Amino acid sequence: MGSAWTVIKEILRGSAITARHFFVNMTFHTLRLFGLRTARRGAVTVQYPEEAKPLGPRHRSLHRLRPRPDGRPSCVACMLCVTVCPSECLTVEAAEDPDPEVQKVPARFVVDLNRCCFCGLCVEACPVDAIRMDTGEIRLAALDRKALEVRLDKP
Amino acid sequence: MSAPKTVRLTIDGRAVEADAGTNVLRAAEKAGIAIPHFCFHPGLDVEGSCRMCLVEIEGLPKLELACSTVVREGLAVRTTTERVRRARRDVLEFLLAEHPLDCPICDKAGECRLQDYYDLHGRHPGRMLEPRESRAKKVPIGRGLILDRERCVLCTRCVRFLRQVTGTGELGVFERALRSEIGIFDGTPVDNRYAGNLVDICPVGAITSEDFRFRTRAWFLTRRPSICPHCSRGCAVSVESRAGYPLAEGERRVYRIAARENPAVNGFWMCDLGREGRRDIEAGRLSVPLRQGRPDPGLSWTEAAGEAAAAIGRIPAGERGEKTAVVLNGRLTCEELARARASFVDGLGCRNIFFADSRPGRADGPLLTAERTPNLRGAVAAGFSPRLPDLGELAAARVLLVFGSRLAEHHGGPELARALSGGPRTFLFAAHAGPLDGLAEMAVPVAVPAEKSGTYINIDGLAQAFDRSLEPAPGGPAEGAVLEALARGLGLDRGGGDGR
Amino acid sequence: MAADVLIVLAKAVLAMTWTLLLALFLTWVERKESAVMQDRIGANRASIFGLRLFGLFQPFADAIKMFFKEDFVPSFARKPLHWLAPAVSFFCVSVTMIAVPFGDAIRLFGRRIPLQVADLDAAVLFVLAMLGLGVYGILTGGWASANRFGLIGSLRGAAQLISYEVALGLSLVGLIMVFPSLRLSRIVEYQGGLLFGVLPKWGIFLQPLGFAVFFLAGLAETKRVPFDLPEGESEIIGFYTEYSGLKFGLFMFTDFLEVIVFAALAATLFFGGWQVPWLGDGGFVFPWGGRIAAAPWAVTVLRVLSFNLKVLFFCWLQILVRWTYPRLRYDQVMDLGWKVLVPAGAFNILATGLVLAVR
Repeated sequence: MGSAWTVIKEILRGSAITARHFFVNMTFHTLRLFGLRTARRGAVTVQYPEEAKPLGPRHRSLHRLRPRPDGRPSCVACMLCVTVCPSECLTVEAAEDPDPEVQKVPARFVVDLNRCCFCGLCVEACPVDAIRMDTGEIRLAALDRKALEVRLDKP
Repeated sequence: MSAPKTVRLTIDGRAVEADAGTNVLRAAEKAGIAIPHFCFHPGLDVEGSCRMCLVEIEGLPKLELACSTVVREGLAVRTTTERVRRARRDVLEFLLAEHPLDCPICDKAGECRLQDYYDLHGRHPGRMLEPRESRAKKVPIGRGLILDRERCVLCTRCVRFLRQVTGTGELGVFERALRSEIGIFDGTPVDNRYAGNLVDICPVGAITSEDFRFRTRAWFLTRRPSICPHCSRGCAVSVESRAGYPLAEGERRVYRIAARENPAVNGFWMCDLGREGRRDIEAGRLSVPLRQGRPDPGLSWTEAAGEAAAAIGRIPAGERGEKTAVVLNGRLTCEELARARASFVDGLGCRNIFFADSRPGRADGPLLTAERTPNLRGAVAAGFSPRLPDLGELAAARVLLVFGSRLAEHHGGPELARALSGGPRTFLFAAHAGPLDGLAEMAVPVAVPAEKSGTYINIDGLAQAFDRSLEPAPGGPAEGAVLEALARGLGLDRGGGDGR
Repeated sequence: MAADVLIVLAKAVLAMTWTLLLALFLTWVERKESAVMQDRIGANRASIFGLRLFGLFQPFADAIKMFFKEDFVPSFARKPLHWLAPAVSFFCVSVTMIAVPFGDAIRLFGRRIPLQVADLDAAVLFVLAMLGLGVYGILTGGWASANRFGLIGSLRGAAQLISYEVALGLSLVGLIMVFPSLRLSRIVEYQGGLLFGVLPKWGIFLQPLGFAVFFLAGLAETKRVPFDLPEGESEIIGFYTEYSGLKFGLFMFTDFLEVIVFAALAATLFFGGWQVPWLGDGGFVFPWGGRIAAAPWAVTVLRVLSFNLKVLFFCWLQILVRWTYPRLRYDQVMDLGWKVLVPAGAFNILATGLVLAVR
């Protein structure tokens, strides 16, 4: 009999918890509806396209090539990113640069977002800190696979 | 040849036997003990300028150079003591003090001795506070070679190679001490057909080749041994290719061809013509089967071989030998030639067998021969007496089988067209495209030598077997498979063929 | 005569419209209530020309989706039965609403019109019977799909519904002993009196144990979450596995109708139906003295409103329960039905009989 009572108590307690949530949240929703801005909100939901959460400082988004002072990418086409990439999504073609101090520049630097797993290993592998994943661009959907092959060397 | 005298010595406490006259470095290498070195090269005279190979020899107060110390009976060498290790580290520190941090853009990275040795023996932080000496980084020295003086460690391998191997001596060391640099003598660039070896022997990335420069990185390449098919020397080469992903448009399959050591034929070297063979594998290939000169991707080589055999079969039995003509070439392996002989000569009694190959060029230097085809000795060994095709005899045949695309080099296109039009039914099996493609009833692509296995007999009569170093393109069989299918179609196959 | 027919027809149409609209509204309530309980917002994107209204148009969007989804019938299904099953379910549940009084009678054009489609003599039995017939929808649905999982699901459902039918019936026997009538209109009228001169004479006060058994058994009858074994949408495969599009929609809609029917029954039988405490035909008469006079139309409005509020409360309560508890195991369902509710119902009858005999 004691255990039956415990069961009933717990059943009621469960209902009480959900009911409390309902009424408390409902109160804040109602206050908000009538224009009373409270510090607490009725829901934790973030209405994404209208309001976006700030990305974390280490969040990895679309890649970019950091430019040199003159605007060209600072990539030296060493292909270490291509080497380390676990999804084999990077394609780099090197070209000769007339400046003997630069020598090697990417003629084509393509990241295939169809394959990319956003692990960030390319960023870590880069010896000249040329590739970074800090654009904050996270809307990367496309209707065409070709559109997901992003050329990073030309904006 | 008498057996060379051997001496016994100990290296790192291990008893080692070495031929008398070799140096400690080679003896250690043979025993599996690697001694780091830059300037020493087994194909060149000892220079002893890099000081990297210092070892401790019992009884001598100072460290000695392993490359210039000749082995003696009872010599006790130690390569792993603290003194040796410190010496290596200090030598590396001196070399690296002036070495640019170019590894990301250096073609040698990944196969660079300096990189490897720093990893094994250096690992010291830089202590140089002064700015680095800046030198010319892009000096063309001729034949598509580019010299980077910042990367150079002044081992003088290149200088010695040009003096001792080719005897041309275009490069020298200029200035003295800190300002020493490699250079060409006023206005005379490196110009010989062995210059490509400079890239191979340079221990760092100081000499690079324009053809390979910036194309890929060394660690992406797969190296497979093969035999160079571009002259009758049969040099050992390694075909360095990159298979599979990522293959962008215009990306190469074979990035370079480098020399492979074979003391019996080419030592450590090869000529630039052989290196150029990279293009022979990729450029100008017949990629799609042709039917009456029009691309027909549906035409398979088995169908073409079957059709050719059927065409021969339709000739009355007594006339087959007369009315069938075959054009072979010197790139066929011994196995393929033997099969051709069994089928056409022994089987059909065919007498119209010709050989069409590249025209001979000029012999040059120690390796390059005048014959630009690898296996004419093999043809002789198979029982053929190679002779050039005669257009009249070709035109008289009812079925003409052509292997290789070189027939047009000996007869002009219009001449060939006149001879073959309305004459024989022509079947072409060629790796490369040529004027003949449009004239043949069926033209089917086949493999180049790098894509097949077999045996070549070189100009000195040395038979060398080789394995395929590249995967052939789909639908591009070795001629051996075509010959086998032909023999089967003619009812001559007695089994036992291995398809090569 | 024709006027009578017309009146009944109009009442039937009104009752049906009310029920269906409420069911449609409930789909939205279910989404929103569960969201608010879980600190979420819930569906709020459906809009007409940018007008969102807290997602009130979501049910219409859902309905449009259901209409245009492919109605897939497996080639091996028994097609007529496959068609029939959701219709049977829907019919049996929605038809119970005719017996429920929405309010007392109104006077129009000299006629007394009870706000009830049909004042059946044996309304309680009719309701129980119709709810029981709903099992056939489940059984035919599962069987006609010719899907083993569907069949097993429907058998599970049938076993569960029949078990709880017993408890449901027993829980009402005590009530009928107290309010000696099977007419729902009479039962509601009985509840207009006062208990000890203060409390409204509602079923909940007279039959607390009966209500507990009724509520649990009723929850099980709606086959919603703590008792959703026939369906088990998240893990186990239920009787409408092979249903899609409109027919699936009908099954789902029936679920909501059951919620409404159960809420209406609970309100009618145990919470005074359309009765407002201390509200008589002439106005409020409070037991502690004092009265507020009210016009007859105001009384009617208050009573209809009272019934609607009670129904809404029970709908809310059922949704709360559905989003609070995890599903019972099958043996627990059977244990609860046969070992707890049936004995409790029987004990309730006994106790009620004793009290009635002693008094």
